[in-house]
Amino acid sequence: MMAVANGVVKQNKGSAASIYGDYLLMLFAPCFMAYWYYGVRSLLVIAASVAAAVITDILAGIIVNKKIDISDPGSVFTGAAIAVMMPSSVPYYVPVFASVFAVAVVKIPFGGSLKVPFVPAAAGFAFASVCFSEQVFAYTAGVRGSLFGATSLGSMLMNGRAVYVGEASVYDIIGGNVAGPMGTGCAILMVACAFYLLIRHPKALISSASFVAVCVLMVALFPRVTASFRTNLVPELCSGSLLFAAVFFVTEPVTQPEKVINKIVYGAVCGAVCMAMRLLGAYEEPVCFAVLLANAFRPIIDSAINNIPKFGKKASRKEVRAE
Amino acid sequence: MNNSISFKDALKKGAVRYNPVLVQLVGLCPVIAASTTFVQAAILSAAMCAQLLVISIIANALMKSLPRWIRMPLYLLIGLAIVCPVLYYFETYSLGGISLGMKIYLPLTAVNSVVAVHCEQVAVKSNMKLTVYDAAASGIGGTVIFLLTGAVREILGHSTFAGVRLNLPVTLKGMTLPFGCLIFLGFLAAGLKKILPRTEPVREDISEEVKEEPAAELAPEAYSESVPEEESKANGADDVFGIAENDLEDFLKSVGIELNGEGDSAQ
Repeated sequence: MMAVANGVVKQNKGSAASIYGDYLLMLFAPCFMAYWYYGVRSLLVIAASVAAAVITDILAGIIVNKKIDISDPGSVFTGAAIAVMMPSSVPYYVPVFASVFAVAVVKIPFGGSLKVPFVPAAAGFAFASVCFSEQVFAYTAGVRGSLFGATSLGSMLMNGRAVYVGEASVYDIIGGNVAGPMGTGCAILMVACAFYLLIRHPKALISSASFVAVCVLMVALFPRVTASFRTNLVPELCSGSLLFAAVFFVTEPVTQPEKVINKIVYGAVCGAVCMAMRLLGAYEEPVCFAVLLANAFRPIIDSAINNIPKFGKKASRKEVRAE
Repeated sequence: MNNSISFKDALKKGAVRYNPVLVQLVGLCPVIAASTTFVQAAILSAAMCAQLLVISIIANALMKSLPRWIRMPLYLLIGLAIVCPVLYYFETYSLGGISLGMKIYLPLTAVNSVVAVHCEQVAVKSNMKLTVYDAAASGIGGTVIFLLTGAVREILGHSTFAGVRLNLPVTLKGMTLPFGCLIFLGFLAAGLKKILPRTEPVREDISEEVKEEPAAELAPEAYSESVPEEESKANGADDVFGIAENDLEDFLKSVGIELNGEGDSAQ
């Protein structure tokens, strides 16, 4: 049990700047898409969220007598990631509270960006989903006119309404021109971010690949709409923040396991929980809850897989002595 | 702990240093489940205090000679005897809708682990004065946390205090849920740890007869001695499974076994 607890707060080898630098760079793309589809207000929401996260980080650091690390962009990433998952019309206090929660409750008490057992941004968004569900899921049409007006893909799927995926609409859907979270709806952009991550940190995408694969499998097995597989799959993947979480949260090196097989299981657990929650849960976008649950299960996954006996491999003298 | 302990010292220990909710973590279930409003927290803490005091006194007066396996169900029975009339009162006379919320959780206090811990740890091992002091101190410590949690959860979660609307601009629904309460209690526990002196003073044993029942399974560290090793060796009090070495030697002598030097050759 102690080993499990130690595994959660294990010190990460890289620095916060090197880990979050790439993620922050990738996050510019969703921020730009938010501005493109929803105008200046989206940037103001992002700025408010980032400011809240950074100020909370500084204040909490002063309270707990912790040295303030200016090179740590973890709080900036957390604030921006929370904001791009929200609608552009959200009241400013919602992302502010979410960012404060993420930093003050998830990041600081566990010892900073490199020791967090949970993804702070996912925790912040989950907190906002619970506390301000009306505001967080009240999506609006973009300034350039969205495909289905103010109706999001997630709400259509929740109500069992099929989304026609024709040649005319598919580009709008994968391009993010549908009401939804202001920066996470563009699937093309998420794929581009995944390619960037593939070049920079190839192993990080293993859990992401298994996450998406299990989501696709779940869509095939348990479709929410009685229509073709394609009609179910495209809106499921493009709705809400699923792909965003696959690229930005599931791959986060601090919270995901180190071994390849563990990464695969971790991503699969995350995907299965996410799709199960979409099928049975009350929230339109439960991917952050799924990420948090997968984070919580991570030590158990590590422990279970590491304790599987390796057949055909001779036990070392040290292992025999330990037995 | 010696018998001349003052109520102030008992209060410091029972309510602050070994707070049943924040330090001993034995009163978590009721506080998480039922303290969503200030009034509910007040009712719950009153029920807990009454039970703790009454059961501790009964345990001290009547149950010292009974084995533990009989004592434990007796705590439950006495707890139910206290709770049942209160429940009946709530069912008969509805107090502005409070009864509905509390009906489920009041019986929980009958199986409250705070009662079991303090009865087993103190009441059946100490004199009446210490028992009453400990029950009162723990009850006060628990009550303060219950009320504080209830007030904060009601203010932040419902934007009311004791039923009075405060019209706050933002309400955090999450605070009415168990996770909100756990987070708040976590911060309270951290705050308590921060304000307590970092160098923990030498703990004293509040019970008189620890040596007779050394294996205090319920929160053994709470009231156990934690004297430095050198000091304890100087006093000849090397603990072997909770029994002092001198006592162990006496016991072995009484059953016809003598310890010869380091070899421990039994005759």
